[in-house]
Amino acid sequence: MSGWIALSNITVRFGALTAVDAVSLDVDKGEIHAVVGENGAGKSTIMNVLFGLLVPDEGTIAIGGTPHAWKTPQDAIAHGIGMVHQHFMLQDSMTVLENVVLCAEPVNRLGIVDFATARAKLEDIIATYGIRSRLDARVADLSVSERQVVEILKVLYREAEVLILDEPTAVLTPQETRSLFEILANFKAAGKAIVIITHKLDEVMEVADTVSVMRGGRLVSSGPREATSKDEIARGIIGGDLPAPRARGPYAPGAPVLKVTDLVARGEGRPVGPVSLEVRKGEIVGVAAVAGNGQAELIETIVGLRRSAGGTVSLDGQDLAGKDVAARRALGLSYIPTDRQRVGLALEARVSENALIGREMESRFRRGLFQIGSQIDAFAREVIARYRIKVAGPRAKTSSMSGGNKQKLVVGRELSRETPLVIAENPTWGVDIGAIDFIHGELVRMRDAGHAILLVSTEIDEILALSDRIVVMFEGRITGSFAASDADRFEIGALMTSHGSGGIQTRDAS
Amino acid sequence: MMATDTGFAARLGPWVAVIAWLFAILLVLMIAVGASLDQAVSGFFNGAFGGRNSAYLMTTIGRSALIIGMALAVLISFRAGLYNIGGEGQLVVGGIVAALVGIYLPGPGPMVLAVGILAAMAAASLWAVLAGALQVYLGVPLLIGSLLLNYPARYISSYLVGHPFRDVAAGLPQTHMVPQGAWIPNFPGTRLDMGIILVLLAAVFTIVYAYRTVPGYRTRMNGLAPDFARASGLPVKRLVFQTLAMSGAIAGLVGAIAVFGVHYRFSDGMLVQPLYAWTGIIAVLMVGMVPWAVPLSGFFFAAVQTGAAGMERTAGIPKEIGLIMQAAIILFVASRLAVVNLAGSARGEGNDDRA
Repeated sequence: MSGWIALSNITVRFGALTAVDAVSLDVDKGEIHAVVGENGAGKSTIMNVLFGLLVPDEGTIAIGGTPHAWKTPQDAIAHGIGMVHQHFMLQDSMTVLENVVLCAEPVNRLGIVDFATARAKLEDIIATYGIRSRLDARVADLSVSERQVVEILKVLYREAEVLILDEPTAVLTPQETRSLFEILANFKAAGKAIVIITHKLDEVMEVADTVSVMRGGRLVSSGPREATSKDEIARGIIGGDLPAPRARGPYAPGAPVLKVTDLVARGEGRPVGPVSLEVRKGEIVGVAAVAGNGQAELIETIVGLRRSAGGTVSLDGQDLAGKDVAARRALGLSYIPTDRQRVGLALEARVSENALIGREMESRFRRGLFQIGSQIDAFAREVIARYRIKVAGPRAKTSSMSGGNKQKLVVGRELSRETPLVIAENPTWGVDIGAIDFIHGELVRMRDAGHAILLVSTEIDEILALSDRIVVMFEGRITGSFAASDADRFEIGALMTSHGSGGIQTRDAS
Repeated sequence: MMATDTGFAARLGPWVAVIAWLFAILLVLMIAVGASLDQAVSGFFNGAFGGRNSAYLMTTIGRSALIIGMALAVLISFRAGLYNIGGEGQLVVGGIVAALVGIYLPGPGPMVLAVGILAAMAAASLWAVLAGALQVYLGVPLLIGSLLLNYPARYISSYLVGHPFRDVAAGLPQTHMVPQGAWIPNFPGTRLDMGIILVLLAAVFTIVYAYRTVPGYRTRMNGLAPDFARASGLPVKRLVFQTLAMSGAIAGLVGAIAVFGVHYRFSDGMLVQPLYAWTGIIAVLMVGMVPWAVPLSGFFFAAVQTGAAGMERTAGIPKEIGLIMQAAIILFVASRLAVVNLAGSARGEGNDDRA
């Protein structure tokens, strides 16, 4: 029996690469269907086919038994399919209402946009599904989760019967995730079909009715959640058994490497801070914060990308005041930035060029001002092998790699510098389970080898899994500080979204 | 392999469309001015590639040397993500300095020529660096600062050749001639000056610099991803100045070639009216900033301009039609760039989930 939406034998090729290989997938009304798999497994690709962004090389799409062939997303939207992408597509300077109706404006006979009708329709939607949204707020003033709601409203406003969400919880706190799931449950009750593309198995187990696992462009399994288990799904995703839990050395921190004292960072509008923290040799300090709470400004100030407005930063006892990025890096700092697409890598450059950056003046890579291509390629090959990066070779274009492999390149380049201090900012954002595991392993290995690691993450699970000490930031200030052994995920989640019950929460064992 | 093949076809497609459109536009314009088609076509080709002893071809090559030179100046800065559109001002500064050195520096001809070229390059280089300083220290975007600096360069040079350094006897706002000993010699038996050799050297230098050297690598990374360059600790301010200095120096070289090889003096507007600098920008954008293709597109635009002059001579079609064609090309390039940018960002979105 085939479902309400039936994707049959879909094949998508990008040049020589088969991204989706003869996959058939059914989605029914009134179900939440989770599609899981590593990056590069083809899950986004097949959903892009359903949404009309990609035309499949083979295979058919049928809705309610009627076959369709989309040429553009507009065709798909017209037949009730809506998609919320991982990267939001909103106009910051416009209000929520304006964003939602953009390109689907109701107009009166004079051709003037009829906002009253649009507003009434939206308020109806909001009431029906228990959504909270401020229609007249400017998108620029909204938090990430509120922006996501706007994207969902856009889809609902276009009367979608199928809602596809690509990694919807990647940017949300546990509390925000919970309220998203409540909204999704209401959609389900109203008979809509929901597809979520995700990496997070706990969430799959919590909300999905049906789970489809993809690996290497093929469908590994598809069936009701009750009939499977988290372990079985994980095995399906990575195509083998799970790695053993990570072993880590005993916690024996040494001398302080990074000392931040009353640091005030220039923010957009209001300053961030003052913040004080310390990272010692052989420990991982995790900073937990929802995106936009000052952690990015803090890190940029430490790295030297942003000027400080007060306070001091020292590295191995050396004051960093007045030193630029290059000088700070030379003193012993490595930086894995959140945004690998823009800050971590030059996507249009070769893999070798990205591996080289920061080392181009080393004598082994140049003869006078001329670069020695063979040495640079050899070095890139070393990084590729050591960090198990899947790529055609050192001369391949960086943008040809999957997200996980791009991130491994950044991580490999930075960690192989073996600096006393490593700053890792959302080091596993949007990468697959295999790469997450590898990157986490490398960070722990660095810690065991006596490096000081400052980890910043919006993922509480990542913070909990890696940190020896945990610091929580909210609205530019540190609102809590815990030894890892005392940490409670809901308490951290609460501190990430509020000032807490008064004063700074401190339960530092040390 | 597959990807490059489709990439090549995709690049070729728009070109075919552009050329078809150009011919269509040309046809309409010629009908409008009532010229005969075959006269116009033969006039165009003769004007661009013919002439007695290939004289017109030499003119085309001579002109393309200047356009290619300006294109190289643009290329070196654009590839670094620095939108230096002040090539015209830098060219004029180079030209006037070259002429003044040529006229007033005593000494043997070749020495005067060498000093004149170097002085022109240095002066134009400083003019470009000034635009960079406006951006780095005062926050004036380079696109605006470099553009606006074209005007003082132009008017200061007008004043200099109109008053203090005017060849009064000539009656026109222009300098005296530089001594013949300092002229760039012609290729034997032709009317083509050897300035094109200097331009080709500059082209080789530019390509080697861009692909083989450490500063070239840094500049390229800064151009591809400025945030990446900054976060990796590259000396981005220095790169701005270094790149602009080189870009300006090449523009200055072109100005010196125009003085020592073509006009033998500086006359008001001689480097501005033929739109060398702007044509250079178009020549670079037209081929998507691919260095090896720049000489070809530079030659193409030179041929369009000299061919248009030929049409005017033989068929009586105003040579402004050449300019109209060039403007049409700019529009096509602009629309193509917009399409490329859109396609690029759309691809960027989906990137993360491909193997």
